[in-house]
Amino acid sequence: MPKCTIDGKEVEFTPGENLIKVAKRAGVEIPVFCYHPGLTVVAQCRMCYVEVEKMPKLQTACSTNAAEGMVVKTQSDPVVKGRAGTMEFLLLNHPLDCPICDKSGECDLQDNSYGFGSAEMRHSEERRTYVDVDMGPVIEKNMNRCIHCTRCIRFGDEIAGIHEMVAIQRGNNIDITTIDGDPLKTEYAGNYADICPTGSLTLRDFRFRKRAWMLKKTPTICEGCSKGCNMEIHHEGNVAYRCIPRENMEVNKYWMCDEGRFNYHYTQNETRIIAPRSGDTTIAWDQAIQILKDKIDGKKPTFLVGSDLTQEELTTIQEYVSAYHSGSSVYHFGTEGVFTTADDAPADKILKMKSKTSNLNGAEKLGIKPISEMKSSSEVVLVIRGGRADLAPALSHVKGKKLVGIGVFLEKEISSFSLVLPGLAFTEKDGTIVNHQGKEQKIKRALLPKNTQKALSEVLMLTANKKAKAGAL
Amino acid sequence: MSQQTLFVQHFWKDSNRTLAYYLEQMQGYQSAKKALTSMTPDQVIEEVKKANLRGRGGAGFPMGMKWSFIPKASEKPKYLVCNADESEPGTCKDRQIMRYIPHVLIEGLVIGSFAIGCKHAYIYIRGEYVNEAKLLNEAIDEAYEKGYLGKNIFGSGFDLDITVHRGAGAYICGEETGLLNSLEGKRGEPRVKPPFPAVSGAFSCPTAVNNVESIANVPYVIRSGGEEFAKLGKIDKSGGTRLISLSGHVKKPGVYEIQAGSMTLRQIIDELGGGIVGDKKLKAVIPGGSSSPILNADEIDVVYDVEPLMKVGTMMGSAAIMVIHEDTDLVKLLLRITKFYAHESCGQCTPCREGCHWMESILHKILHGEARPTDLELLVDVAQNIGGKTLCALGDAAAGPVISFVKKFRPEFESYIKGQKKYA
Repeated sequence: MPKCTIDGKEVEFTPGENLIKVAKRAGVEIPVFCYHPGLTVVAQCRMCYVEVEKMPKLQTACSTNAAEGMVVKTQSDPVVKGRAGTMEFLLLNHPLDCPICDKSGECDLQDNSYGFGSAEMRHSEERRTYVDVDMGPVIEKNMNRCIHCTRCIRFGDEIAGIHEMVAIQRGNNIDITTIDGDPLKTEYAGNYADICPTGSLTLRDFRFRKRAWMLKKTPTICEGCSKGCNMEIHHEGNVAYRCIPRENMEVNKYWMCDEGRFNYHYTQNETRIIAPRSGDTTIAWDQAIQILKDKIDGKKPTFLVGSDLTQEELTTIQEYVSAYHSGSSVYHFGTEGVFTTADDAPADKILKMKSKTSNLNGAEKLGIKPISEMKSSSEVVLVIRGGRADLAPALSHVKGKKLVGIGVFLEKEISSFSLVLPGLAFTEKDGTIVNHQGKEQKIKRALLPKNTQKALSEVLMLTANKKAKAGAL
Repeated sequence: MSQQTLFVQHFWKDSNRTLAYYLEQMQGYQSAKKALTSMTPDQVIEEVKKANLRGRGGAGFPMGMKWSFIPKASEKPKYLVCNADESEPGTCKDRQIMRYIPHVLIEGLVIGSFAIGCKHAYIYIRGEYVNEAKLLNEAIDEAYEKGYLGKNIFGSGFDLDITVHRGAGAYICGEETGLLNSLEGKRGEPRVKPPFPAVSGAFSCPTAVNNVESIANVPYVIRSGGEEFAKLGKIDKSGGTRLISLSGHVKKPGVYEIQAGSMTLRQIIDELGGGIVGDKKLKAVIPGGSSSPILNADEIDVVYDVEPLMKVGTMMGSAAIMVIHEDTDLVKLLLRITKFYAHESCGQCTPCREGCHWMESILHKILHGEARPTDLELLVDVAQNIGGKTLCALGDAAAGPVISFVKKFRPEFESYIKGQKKYA
């Protein structure tokens, strides 16, 4: 492999790699704004200057590919002065409103200013200001904070496949906005906020809710569809505040869709059932388990299991059925019209899949049959669900039966159930899911459940151990 | 010395622009016929290389070399784009070629397209040249009619179409990659290089972008041979003649033509320009368009060509000489120049977008007596943070004048800052 030298360290590289990537491997971080590994290189921000031997001018590391024998300096005086110059230029018109900016604490402009800028200000002119447009429900725009890196424009053009962000005017008056000032149309708008290196584009959903540095980050997998986008849940005080995509070049690269990003909200919905319910009455767990036991003891109830459950949960159900309800049938359900992986397909050209549950592939691998193959069901039907599997179409198969729900339900979803046992949402449990590619990925508990919720394994264990017909002893 | 010229003798008469005049008086389309019917593309490029024909747009890059960078094996279409976005302040030479002898440009494009294998050439003309665009189109129509354009030119099997594309009036579209973006219908923003246009230019295909005057020289090169053309130049590495746009405080401003390297800057001002208006004292000269660093009055005994000017720290650029006499306020002039670059900055890269406007603000404050004593140093430092650090050459164009003006005429700036001089 060819080699080059960065700050005195010899590094190997593959031809075509730019100096930012190569330097990173040598442990040298080069500051950037406009460069993003998932977008084309434009070399506009002029932050990533490096000195390359035998080249008279400073070079931008993003647009300079490593070459055999190249000697690169990232800390020389011209580089330091060049970066400081760029930082000064970028802050000329920036409002420096970090105390009220949501990006503060995770802001490239802030970080690079501390790292490479100057504490002094030589500029005494009035700042440039803009009138902002309404960008729709997902993104809040603050153009005064913008540093014109054009990441958003490139994201729209190159990833989201929609030319909606544009630069208008020119020079000092350049404005980054949407065409005709229209609201954003893409279903991937949240990424605009992720890639914005300042607080110019922020998530409305997250706005003024939490300072970035207070958030704990739990790496997990999105349960929004069978794609299995890698993401982080950001939470504090047992409350989730947002989800952001996590890099995985084999699955979602750097991105995720808005549906997946905001999906977690239902788990914190006020009307979520978090204590056992019999009809309209909240009951104790002991009583609830007893009712369940009495309903199913010695019978062969039908199990409808959501393809939003983890491999561990599905396996537990299978084991429970074979131990205590031999002969019962188990069917999985999830998305109307997508019964098997053969029905699953990309729903757009970017990330979304047709299956709106995350573990269709896993359920199939465990040999569970789809609900479309169910001919008839027994009188009692256990509907076990992670929270995402679509109930209405599944329930249309079991009209008039006695329904017991286990898992995550909202108030409006339980009218046809005689008994509901609250379980854990994907934010509250560990487990494995298998995405459409057959890739096993781990979801991780970010939040603790309330003490009135129980894991599926505990519910099944308690039911198995419960003596039937209380009072008939 | 008496100058042998190629163009100026045909200027200034509207009737010269016809095809008939071109055929009769300028051996019109004979060179194209020679190239297409008796030469290979490589031979044409070889002649141009021998001619020492440097680009006339500003950078002075050898034209034959530029053409030889176009990959021959590429399966993509290749494009020859004529840069007629003549917009460097002070420059008005290409305009005369298009206005009075448009066919020489068209013939040059035929030969150049043949040399690089282009089937569709573009003339990107600045939006303000409304009449010139019209005249070019009329000339192109004439050429089509006579079979000098279109299919199977001179029975050689070579086809060429030419399209005139009008810009919308942006200086930055004279930068070759900004021009290509604009030609493609995008924002006129320069592209990051590499890849260079020779590899990926117009519509991501191999492209050569050449100035009007450069292309207009090609028919002569082919007719007389590269060596003959090179001999016209009186200095190494520069062949042919140079069109000079002489403006400012000279008695006879205008477009002149000299053999490359045959005169000093002083001779041009005195002999061609007839000396300074009102017989005043010369104060300074901007030798190559407003972006070239300024020379003071005792620096003008320099041979007027690319390399000698480089040696004295400035550049020949587009050969637009602006002569400045003693009554000129250089602070005002620099503000005007800086305002131009701030206005024309495309805004994509940081130093130019922010810095040019900042320099303008500082200069405005200096001129109006509102500047701090430290502002002059600040101005130079800002210019240095722009120069050499931008994505395209516009940043250098904006920074060069600021640095050179302050360096050479510092007291003028200081007298404003100290309040000794007031804006009037």
